Amino acid sequence: MAQDRSFSSFLGIGLPAALIMVGLLAALISLPLYVGQSWVSITTEMLIMSLAACALNIMLGYTGLVSFGPAGLYAVGAYTTAIFLQKLGLSIAPSMLAAPVLAGLIGAIVGWICVRRTAVYFALLTLAFSQIIWTVIFEWYAVTGGDDGLTSLPIPDFFFNISNCYYFTLFVVGVCTFIIWKIINSPFGQTLKAIRENRNRVEFIGVNTKRYQLGAFVLSSLFLGISGSLYCVFSGSVFPNFAYWVKSADMLVICLLGGVYNFSGPLVGTLIYTLLTKIIADYTTHWHLFLGGIIIFIILVMRNGVVGTLADLWARKKQKQL
Amino acid sequence: MLLEARNLSKSFGGLNAVTDVSLTVREGQLVSIIGPNGAGKSTLFDLLTGHIRPDQGTVSFKGQDITHLKPYEISRLGLGRSFQKLNIFPRLTTFQNVQVALFSAEKLNHKLFAHAGRMVAEPVEEILKSVGLFGQADTLGGLLAHGDQKRLEIGIALALNPKLLLLDEPTQGMSPGETMETTDLIRSLVRARQISLAFVEHDMKVVFGISDWINVMHQGRLIFGGPPEEVKANEEVQRIYLGQGEN
Amino acid sequence: MTFEALAGQTISGISLGMVWFLIAVGLSIIFGTLKVLNLAHGSLYMLGSYTCYQVTTSLAPLAGNFWLAVLLAPLVVALVGGLIEVFLLRPIYKAEMLYQYILTFALVLIIAEVCKIIWGAGYHSISVPWPFKGSVRLFGLTFPQYNLFLIVMGAVVFMGLRLLINHTSLGRIIRAVTHNREMANALGVNVPWVYTGVFMLGSWLAGLAGCLWPPMSAVTLGSDMAVVIDCFIIVVIGGLGSLSGAFLGAIILGLTTAYGVLFVPKLAVAFGFILMVIILIIRPWGLLGEPE
Repeated sequence: MAQDRSFSSFLGIGLPAALIMVGLLAALISLPLYVGQSWVSITTEMLIMSLAACALNIMLGYTGLVSFGPAGLYAVGAYTTAIFLQKLGLSIAPSMLAAPVLAGLIGAIVGWICVRRTAVYFALLTLAFSQIIWTVIFEWYAVTGGDDGLTSLPIPDFFFNISNCYYFTLFVVGVCTFIIWKIINSPFGQTLKAIRENRNRVEFIGVNTKRYQLGAFVLSSLFLGISGSLYCVFSGSVFPNFAYWVKSADMLVICLLGGVYNFSGPLVGTLIYTLLTKIIADYTTHWHLFLGGIIIFIILVMRNGVVGTLADLWARKKQKQL
Repeated sequence: MLLEARNLSKSFGGLNAVTDVSLTVREGQLVSIIGPNGAGKSTLFDLLTGHIRPDQGTVSFKGQDITHLKPYEISRLGLGRSFQKLNIFPRLTTFQNVQVALFSAEKLNHKLFAHAGRMVAEPVEEILKSVGLFGQADTLGGLLAHGDQKRLEIGIALALNPKLLLLDEPTQGMSPGETMETTDLIRSLVRARQISLAFVEHDMKVVFGISDWINVMHQGRLIFGGPPEEVKANEEVQRIYLGQGEN
Repeated sequence: MTFEALAGQTISGISLGMVWFLIAVGLSIIFGTLKVLNLAHGSLYMLGSYTCYQVTTSLAPLAGNFWLAVLLAPLVVALVGGLIEVFLLRPIYKAEMLYQYILTFALVLIIAEVCKIIWGAGYHSISVPWPFKGSVRLFGLTFPQYNLFLIVMGAVVFMGLRLLINHTSLGRIIRAVTHNREMANALGVNVPWVYTGVFMLGSWLAGLAGCLWPPMSAVTLGSDMAVVIDCFIIVVIGGLGSLSGAFLGAIILGLTTAYGVLFVPKLAVAFGFILMVIILIIRPWGLLGEPE
């Protein structure tokens, strides 16, 4: 077979998918022109959450590492930016750039310890570490503001304009998502998928699985840190519950809603989750009941998520046509 | 001497899985290991490939002591393995199954930004052709027929360019026709790539059809080893196999 | 640091540990047999506390209303647990841990919302019941009598469960199913109903704890989340699935918290998690658990 050097080979997707991507991008770029400010704000938040979900899915869907504690690294990113801005008085650029650095560093340390154990024990270790991070944030009043959090952060005026904030977030999330896409479809990414498929077998093709699992953990932490930093800038404040195990569970729910075995799964999951919580919340204060019900439905009936189930149906249809 | 195992012993909580087993594989040899279920054959393989650490004994490969090396280090030295329980990557395509093994062999798997797509397509396709799976390159591994999955297993093992292949029940679950195809496949691969072979089998037609040397295990011990004619004639071996017929 | 102060903290720590044992033991039993990480354990505790509050207040003028609630509320929680197990958990026993974890998370959301709908978002309290209304002096410190009652209850529950598990035929069945589900099935044990029974037992224990602890704390939303993570710590330290392990883990957590608050108050909250990390690194199956 000849080397495929076309545009779609570079991106790794076929023409129809590429067209959908372009359409989506166009819609997102022109969004502020046709919806109100509150929707722009919701979309900004959605973009940030989708990056966090994509980051988690590097570990979850692609390496098969179930983490109960992604919120810990997310909070590290958010608090790094907040503390740099408020306590160290630095400008926005180093404050934001430091977030993935610190999140990646802490992710490397935590990850190195966690990958020494598998399955349940790995998950419980990630839970314990993220709770330790939560405790440090909660108790270290002098630096983190403790239970009160850090509010009225000195964010540059540029970001007070909702459209500006939106475009900045769209840009960063877009670039990060593209990078994650490249990583997932690289030889490294294929190795991660092999680890997910069959951890034992992968050892016998010469792969030091612990090293690659740690790599996935660190990459995940990097992008979780970036999304935390974005949220800090977007909302202007940070609170300890950013690191709490409930937030981690929310992230896992988002990934499961969309489907962990597809790249667009976390993105679609974020869309569904955001629409559910915002729209249903308008109708009833008891939207937790609906969320809980939908989660149960997904787990019992559509375990591969919305995208995963649709992809399975599509594949089955194609198989029948052959 | 390609592979030399000396006095390997392993017990699990009081149960002796393997006791004082020594065996060798020379270059170009086709060695089989037979024995009733529970004789310790798979455990022996696990000991040879570093998956389990022996309580006693040593393993050396190409003259190097590999007793305490990890599986990923051992597989890089040229010792390949397939598994009794199916061990492929179900959600990857046949092509990708072999490709990811080649990435590891060619030390390309650390690349974060190259597009995996059809990288190293030529060597992958060469291997797929040699195990007869070229036509199903884009089928998901999990959707292949059982016999094809077994062949994919061998294909994955071949990617690391092994000098010695350890095959754990390569024809398990196959029909007589598939078994013959696989046996021919193994024989031709071994000849074409000059690989030595050590395999565990229950199908005596296969065992007596390809082996130069047969090792017989029983309750964790190696009770006899020799060329096929001697094994067939040995009384103790016959006793163990009485009633344990061929597939 | 006087002897009295140290002794006082020790008793504090032990009584705290006993309470935590009462709360956590249900989770330990459920994980031991069903291998499910039940995030909703705290929610069942909370449901028990609200139900206890409801029964206590509804029967208010009646003497012994609290004790009647202690009789009834855990049964209600056990029933809810049974329904959960049969309809929601049975389909996913074969699924991976992640799905079980998130399904129980969904239950956390639902149960919390239901409690909010029925009893509102406010804070309720249950007064310390007769005959334990007074206090007692030990080592120069004052201890509520109810606190000592809880210590005794913790020991009673522990011994009661040991008796059940080790010396009854029901216990033998539970142990058989825990060690080898297939074998038990082959021997004619109705494994699905044993699973349901064990889950109901664990829920009953959570409900019981939900009745017994609130007189010293409160009946409030958010107690579900506060409680469940501590339970996880205890069960990990002591050993997933070990009854004595839950007891030991609870006492250890109680003591480290009590001493920690004395010496390094800020970090004390983190001690449990740090212990959890240490155990998971050096002995993941816990102090009294068994490696698989």
